Amino acid sequence: MSSISYFISRVLQIIPTFLIVMVIIFLLVRALPGDPAIAMADAKATTEQLEQIRQRLGLNEPIWVQFGYFVKNTLTGNLGDSILLKAPVTEVIFERLPASGFLALYAVLFSLLIAGPLAFVAALNRNKWLDVTIRSVFQIGLSTPVFYIGLLLLTFLAAKMRWFPVGGYGVTFWEHMYHLLLPALTVALYTSAIIMRNLRSSVIEVMDAEYVQFARAKGLPEHVILGRHILRNALISTVTLLGLSIGNLMSGTLVTETVFAVPGVGRLMLDAIFARDYPLIQGLTLTFAVLVSIIFLLTDMVQAMLDPRLRVS
Amino acid sequence: MKKFLMATVAVTAMMSAFPAIALERGGSLTFARYDDSTLIDPIYADRNPDIWMVTNLYDTLLRTEADGKTVTAGLASDYSVAADGMSVSLTMRDGIKFSDGSPIEGKDVVFSLQRAANPDLSPWAGLLASVDEVSAEGNNVTISLKNSDPTIVLMLATFNTAIVSADAFEAASGETDQDKAKALSIDGFVGSGPFVMQSHQRGSMMQFAANPHYWREGEDGKPLPYIDGINFLVIPDDATRILKLQAGEVDGAEFIPFARVSELEADPNINMELFPSTRIIYSPINTRSERADGSANPLSDVRLRQALNYATNKDALVQLILHGAGKPVTSGLMASTTQLATDNGPLYQYDLDKAKALIAEAGVAANTEITLTTLAGSADDGIILAALQQMWSDIGIKLNVAQVDGPTRGAKNRSGDFDIHTYGWVNDVNDPAQVAGWLGYFPTAKAVGTGWNNDEFNGLYEASNTEMDPAKRAEQYARMQDIYAQAAPLLFMYETPFAVALSQDVKGYLQTPLGNNEFATAWIDR
Repeated sequence: MSSISYFISRVLQIIPTFLIVMVIIFLLVRALPGDPAIAMADAKATTEQLEQIRQRLGLNEPIWVQFGYFVKNTLTGNLGDSILLKAPVTEVIFERLPASGFLALYAVLFSLLIAGPLAFVAALNRNKWLDVTIRSVFQIGLSTPVFYIGLLLLTFLAAKMRWFPVGGYGVTFWEHMYHLLLPALTVALYTSAIIMRNLRSSVIEVMDAEYVQFARAKGLPEHVILGRHILRNALISTVTLLGLSIGNLMSGTLVTETVFAVPGVGRLMLDAIFARDYPLIQGLTLTFAVLVSIIFLLTDMVQAMLDPRLRVS
Repeated sequence: MKKFLMATVAVTAMMSAFPAIALERGGSLTFARYDDSTLIDPIYADRNPDIWMVTNLYDTLLRTEADGKTVTAGLASDYSVAADGMSVSLTMRDGIKFSDGSPIEGKDVVFSLQRAANPDLSPWAGLLASVDEVSAEGNNVTISLKNSDPTIVLMLATFNTAIVSADAFEAASGETDQDKAKALSIDGFVGSGPFVMQSHQRGSMMQFAANPHYWREGEDGKPLPYIDGINFLVIPDDATRILKLQAGEVDGAEFIPFARVSELEADPNINMELFPSTRIIYSPINTRSERADGSANPLSDVRLRQALNYATNKDALVQLILHGAGKPVTSGLMASTTQLATDNGPLYQYDLDKAKALIAEAGVAANTEITLTTLAGSADDGIILAALQQMWSDIGIKLNVAQVDGPTRGAKNRSGDFDIHTYGWVNDVNDPAQVAGWLGYFPTAKAVGTGWNNDEFNGLYEASNTEMDPAKRAEQYARMQDIYAQAAPLLFMYETPFAVALSQDVKGYLQTPLGNNEFATAWIDR
């Protein structure tokens, strides 16, 4: 199978995924206990006011009619208006996505910069003091709650030392870089621990592989063995993990976004759920589904580049 | 000695000639908020982050003083209520202007009030149900009423009747009134308040600039506001808001957790303000004879409800949750800052003997189980539950817990599927009719979902809504509060202030008892 036909087949696989997500999210949102009209109008609304809101939102229509509207509107790119924010869902999501995307990519970059070299150092010094030290430090990162790390960084590096701003997002690109450095680092301390452990195991596994022994026996220089044989093969499983991490980070940096006051989609999703903002929850979930599908597609493409066997199979 | 006397006289004369601190103009404030505004329009503001900002952008015909009770002149310099209570006449100030420099005229008042009273547009239209017709001639505005309405004057000092520009609405893009309101809030904002909307990045920041045409004068005889603008940052996390203030990145932070108040009071750089509020925390009790599952409801017996109130040490709750920064409620129906609130000391002062006697009289079986529905993740609710479990075990009540989220709690309240649950309230208007209607008047919302339905209370409430004699209305309210306290459809708990931490150089900022953030008189002491 050529690279292009592999790409097309992967893209086509996204369509049924997307349709299933649509059905599930529509039903799940409505299975949540609590009335969106009450959530929207606060506790103070009279019974008549609540009825008016239900009428306006079409909540009194039969569920299949509501689903019909949902599918029709989604396919025409209309995700409706957010109940909570009184604005089009697409507009709200596109306003918030850049901050989450920036944070996710920044955090992944940090994770790679931290985890990559240290995984190799640990693997090359397997079970020696350096390896044990690196793993122990990362174990702390993995077992400490993200909000706690975030607050520690904010308290000491931002509020006390004044090296960084206490939260926020900024306006220009460089302000984003500056404002998001601490939150990205906070997320990276966690994700890099996972990546480091995975990469270290892979490197160790590949180092013991016969083709590496063979390359060494051929007399290839060590840097060629490391770069061409060990790194390339060890990265295959790490790329999968990285794809999963980015997917998670796009939708799941809720705690970090809250602690660091980053106006991203994670925080928006939580607000939407608490407000029973059906259109916004549906819109966000569909957006996450599309994003995760795209990220997984890219992950598969990178994997296929690294490992030609995948294209053939 | 003579020199000393002369110097003293000179210093005293100087002190009386100039205020202790010279008021300064200019500069911008940066203020950290717990949540963002969505649409700050007088009639579409339906969440506190919107409602509490309206009067910064739109002025009202009348105003209330800082105590939230006294009505003074606003855009209207004078007002009078007809002897029969069937109309209100107002005289508009001369020369007042919107932020775009256009005059504020009678037609704008007519447009704004008609919009506010239109039930198809405004969720707050019920507050103006008595309004029949609004007309204007020159500087004189007349509001004709369908029935006498003792609340109408206060309503003209409430956010939903703030004045918008009829011309700006007509010119704004959009098909519906709400579309036009949204369009105006983004581009070409025109307002009548001390500030104008300059920019808004949803969920992140919002900027107000001073309205150069605002009419109200400051202490220095020049028009308000003193500051050039306000930069609002949305920081949902309490700890981060406080850190931001401590780092000097913001000048003020709202909704300070009470656990942090004493720490910030001790900080020499911070002025920790506890503004009196109309916020009360209470717990509705299901008074129906049967629970939602059809089983007998022991809480339908008023003696058990009274016993639970006596067995609850409210002072202890105030210490545990508010760290002393609040007080037990003195009126079951409203916060003590509300007009017509009676104060006969704390309700149901902790008295275990009385509680036990009432339990015995009611014949409540030992280890009777009651469920408290709390908000999942709420630290305050967790403390309330632990405290009540311990306190009520002394009278043989076993308290269980059901943790839910906000909308589920709201739905349970509406359907009566609960025993007791936690709740809170802040008045949106200065008159007690809103809170009394919510907590006690059955037709509004089944007396805050409790199912309590008292004919005398309902009758008094209806009569009070058209009673124009202030003394008689006060009597009606006193009686209503009495009936309500006796019937105990609530677990009466405590009232809290609004905790706002400000940098020491911020002066004149005010949060009213209704929660309105007043920045018009704020200034920065450099």
